[in-house]
Amino acid sequence: MSAAKVVIVDDEVEFASTLSERLTLRNYDAKAVYCAEDAFTIARKDQPDVVLLDMKMPGMSGTEICGIIKQFNPAIQVIMLTGESGSEILPEIAEEDVFDYVMKPVDIEELTRKIDSALKKAAALKQMDEHGSR
Amino acid sequence: MVADKEQIMIESQLKVVGKILSAFSHELNNHLAVIKESAGLIEDILNFNKSFKGAGKENLKAFQSIENHITNTSWLCEQLGNFGHKMDEPLASFDVNESINELLVLLGRIAKQKGIIFEKDFQDNVPLIYSNPSKLQFLIFCFIDKNLNRFERNGSIIFKTSYSHSSITIKILTRGEVTETGERDICPDEIHEYVARRLRGNIVREDGGIAITLPVSISSEADAHD
Repeated sequence: MSAAKVVIVDDEVEFASTLSERLTLRNYDAKAVYCAEDAFTIARKDQPDVVLLDMKMPGMSGTEICGIIKQFNPAIQVIMLTGESGSEILPEIAEEDVFDYVMKPVDIEELTRKIDSALKKAAALKQMDEHGSR
Repeated sequence: MVADKEQIMIESQLKVVGKILSAFSHELNNHLAVIKESAGLIEDILNFNKSFKGAGKENLKAFQSIENHITNTSWLCEQLGNFGHKMDEPLASFDVNESINELLVLLGRIAKQKGIIFEKDFQDNVPLIYSNPSKLQFLIFCFIDKNLNRFERNGSIIFKTSYSHSSITIKILTRGEVTETGERDICPDEIHEYVARRLRGNIVREDGGIAITLPVSISSEADAHD
């Protein structure tokens, strides 16, 4: 079975690249990109299973980026990365189809639990889609 | 009424402190996030016992990253401390260029997120000014905030300082497409004039910016009723 594809979208290069390495060590097929344009490109080409998306990106908010990624493939599960508390970001992400959020600094165990839950949802949606198209 | 203006000024100053603290905490948190990931990577490499070629180099890179981010965080804390201490005394000697720079460091991330570049064109030999440092920073912040709210994307805010005839002039100019984004200014324009008068200076609005001129030394702030 091929490794789950996870893309990290964050303008903090060191943060994103190091997190990507840590997820790779945990047998995810992880990649890091550092701007919205690269996020759109990779979402279209690679069709990742899960995208970890920084809430505050230069030029475009995480929720705006999420909306566009979902247009390419609604099955992609998005987990927001944020430095703000849940009470502050929940109203922001409520409008978007976001799977969950994780606060920075990231707890890797919490993150991988949420990635695995997101993967289960993505797999279930894929199955429903396949049944529907038969 | 003067009492109203004083009240609005005080409330606006509190909002400025709130915004600075919020910007600082966001910046600090990002540094901590990198430090935590780097430390976690070192731990992972040891725990997973991955003997891949270059593991030593990865660890060294992670250690260096931790050190850099601790240095940057310490610098940031210093800027915040300097900003806070500007409220210690109503009148003090201070460097205008450094005061502006503190704000630019603390607001750097917000500007970056909006695609706005801060440019500095400081005169080198501007003498120390004897005035109210926190009120001056408040005034400068109001104009920075106003312009950050005006740019849709990708512009510059240019800061120029100069000294002439016992006065220091701070020019804040904008370059780029300015549009109304609907965000509220931190305080109304009349308060800017009020604060400048209290510092015995004045504000001139020019094309694409403003010029704040202040005397190099004041014995006291102007009375609120002046």
